[in-house]
Amino acid sequence: MTAVDLAQNTLDGLMVGASYALLAVGFTLIFGVMRRLNLAYGPTIMAGVYLGTAAFISLGAPTLVVLVVVIIGAALVGLYVERLCFRPFGEGARAASMVASFALWMQLEEAATHLLPQHMNPFPPLLATQPLEIGPLLLRADHLVMLAATLLIAGAVTYLLARTKLGLAIRAVIDQPRAAAIVGIHVERVMMLTFVLASAIGGVAGFLIAATDGQVTHMIGMWATTKGLVAMMLGGLGSVKGAIAGGLLLGILEAHAQWFLGPQVRDMVAWGLLFVLLAFWPGGLMGAKALDRTMAVGRRV
Amino acid sequence: MLDIQDIVTAYGKIEALKGVSLAAAEGRITCLLGPNGAGKTTLMYSIAGVLKPRRGTIKLAGADITGQSPASIVARGLALVPENRLVFPQMSVAENLEAGAYQRRDSAEVAADIERMYARFPRLKERHTQLAGTLSGGEQQMLAVARALMSRPRILLMDEPSLGLAPLIVEEIFRIVGELNKDGVTIFLVEQNVHMALKVAHHFYLMEQGRVTFSGEPGKLAEDEVIQRAYLGTSRKTG
Amino acid sequence: MDGYLITVLSNIGMISFVALSAYILLLSGQISFGQQAYFGIGAYTAGIATVMWQWPLAGALVLGALVASAAAGLVGLATLRLSGIYFAMATLAFAEIMRIAAELLVYRREIGGIETGPDGIDGFRDIRYFFANDVSPLQTCLIVYVLLGMVVAALFMAERTRAGRMLRQVGEDPLLAEVHGIDVMRVRMAAALVAGAVAGLGGGLYAHLMTYVEPKSFDIMLGVHALAYGLIGGLGTALGPLLGVLIDIGLLESTRIFRGYRMIVFGGLVAVLLIVRPRGLLDENAVGRIRHYLRRRGHAGD
Repeated sequence: MTAVDLAQNTLDGLMVGASYALLAVGFTLIFGVMRRLNLAYGPTIMAGVYLGTAAFISLGAPTLVVLVVVIIGAALVGLYVERLCFRPFGEGARAASMVASFALWMQLEEAATHLLPQHMNPFPPLLATQPLEIGPLLLRADHLVMLAATLLIAGAVTYLLARTKLGLAIRAVIDQPRAAAIVGIHVERVMMLTFVLASAIGGVAGFLIAATDGQVTHMIGMWATTKGLVAMMLGGLGSVKGAIAGGLLLGILEAHAQWFLGPQVRDMVAWGLLFVLLAFWPGGLMGAKALDRTMAVGRRV
Repeated sequence: MLDIQDIVTAYGKIEALKGVSLAAAEGRITCLLGPNGAGKTTLMYSIAGVLKPRRGTIKLAGADITGQSPASIVARGLALVPENRLVFPQMSVAENLEAGAYQRRDSAEVAADIERMYARFPRLKERHTQLAGTLSGGEQQMLAVARALMSRPRILLMDEPSLGLAPLIVEEIFRIVGELNKDGVTIFLVEQNVHMALKVAHHFYLMEQGRVTFSGEPGKLAEDEVIQRAYLGTSRKTG
Repeated sequence: MDGYLITVLSNIGMISFVALSAYILLLSGQISFGQQAYFGIGAYTAGIATVMWQWPLAGALVLGALVASAAAGLVGLATLRLSGIYFAMATLAFAEIMRIAAELLVYRREIGGIETGPDGIDGFRDIRYFFANDVSPLQTCLIVYVLLGMVVAALFMAERTRAGRMLRQVGEDPLLAEVHGIDVMRVRMAAALVAGAVAGLGGGLYAHLMTYVEPKSFDIMLGVHALAYGLIGGLGTALGPLLGVLIDIGLLESTRIFRGYRMIVFGGLVAVLLIVRPRGLLDENAVGRIRHYLRRRGHAGD
């Protein structure tokens, strides 16, 4: 083990972590306004990516068009999930809501295999250039794009939440939904918009992941749900900053664990850290200050 | 201003309101008294559109608002200061006020109104960047009132504004209620603090077990009688 | 009975144990994504007991259930005070750790001249107890259903006791239960122990019926399915989860009516069903009505 290895791992982890961070941001937004887990979040992304892949394979759509198809596809599927799994359920039916989202997960997986029956499908690469050399370190250009996109989207979401009227409404719904209704905010509309926005962000994440891999399988659905969930929980629920931190941390941790301990232990380390954090420090990375709030939010699931 | 006819609201099979009729006259302070569990908060939420009544009609300035969404009721000029205040705890005082003006499009006027609120509630000005969850109970109550006023309501509903507050602060709250009314805001107030409520009210109702059992002006019923019935209900007094 | 039918019935029976396990925790108000872990622990333990230590089946199944229950107890100590999404995620994390641990577990020994035992990601193969003892598929199916019947009967009786009522009270409103003097943590711990044992028993049966168990057998899919069965079938009675399994595996997978489109149909149906009945087909109201009807018929017959 050398300093170069450590630095290279950290760098690689940071890049992969960027995609986790994006997934966690989407998850956090949905969880914030709904207070319920959307298990179909990953499969929603998968559906968008599959639609984009189909456009690429059968119509030869250029990369930019594929990106647009993926984003719009994920947003529309997200709307479908919201309509069927979240809108109709009241406060008392959180478990039912979650299980309904699982049912749609199964549905989307099967629909995806009908759309593209091959297990593995080609996806247009983002940038096919040689890796950049920075001293002894290697850096893939498409990874750099992924990191930049993550930071850009995180900045945009932060701006939306802090500075716009919709952002004010979203925060009000997250903070105190009944009071939000009382002051005249259309709570259901805000929930729907947030859901669609989060699904579109997930679409961007899915596109970037598939494009850096150059291929896609339907496993991306389950993968996105679990990675996004772990990253969100690591960061502590309910904050964009926490979601970014959780995603990057998960990426770096996994990169080191993979290098030193192998791919199986890599996954175990991530789950182990999550378990220990939840059992002994449920506030997540944002620390004990956020604990009361997040516990109050999380308890309602 | 507000005219309620025969409202029935239920949670599942349990009827919390069993046919309530009452009215709040324009420019007046109308007060609703009654023991815990009488259905006062249910009535407030039914008027504000948070709960949907099963039967009956609610009219605001002549227009039927029964079963409409809270947002459209706010748009018609009704604002609620809810029980337990329900400020947005993770948002600053200023943001709470902005949220109160959510439906308004005149941002310059909204900013001016926020300044007016700061003039009326100097404590809020001192703490305008602080998170609402960190305010004291009295300050949160001020904020909840100011937030409701930000929608420029014609009628203000207040659900137990004195709940859990120290006597000096209760006095302060009722002074503000009187002032607002002098400025032309119609007020419909739910209270447990009978003494203070009867001091400001032009008209009051007694509610027990989901029904209105008395209606009149302060002085029509001896205060200790009102207190007796407002805290304990008639059933226990006679039974 | 033909072999296919027996296999389907056995599958329904085995999965029912995990569904019941998730159901018990749902009654206590906790959503667990991780009951498959105890299924896996039971499967590996019971398999090792018959194959490597040459225990009789009954002893192996009991050991599997006990070890699974003990594991559930330990996990419970760390997680039961959590609620909502925190509990769900902690149980899922534990289950995934167990699954990966099974991928890493290599415990090979020579038994009767053949090397056998858990072999990492390939799983634990050749658990040939039934084959070696000449137990027919029909008999194994009967064993599954007798044990399942015993578990369901025990749950039925438990529901009528004070402990059973306490469990539902805790699930409905833990704060109120606390006010009524119920030790919520103890009730939840008891539920976790029982739920672990039930899943472990199912796992032990699974390993012997299938003759193998691999880490994939108890991944997150099994856990979420188990949870879904209770909510589809209904939370009003222990028969609810069984109904859920029956509808999914019995009706849709086995009859192959919707070949290739099963999940598209089933997924949509479940979502719509839950909108209409958020606590499942046999929810508390439905069970109440059925009991009432049965009592009336009982009286009319007198």
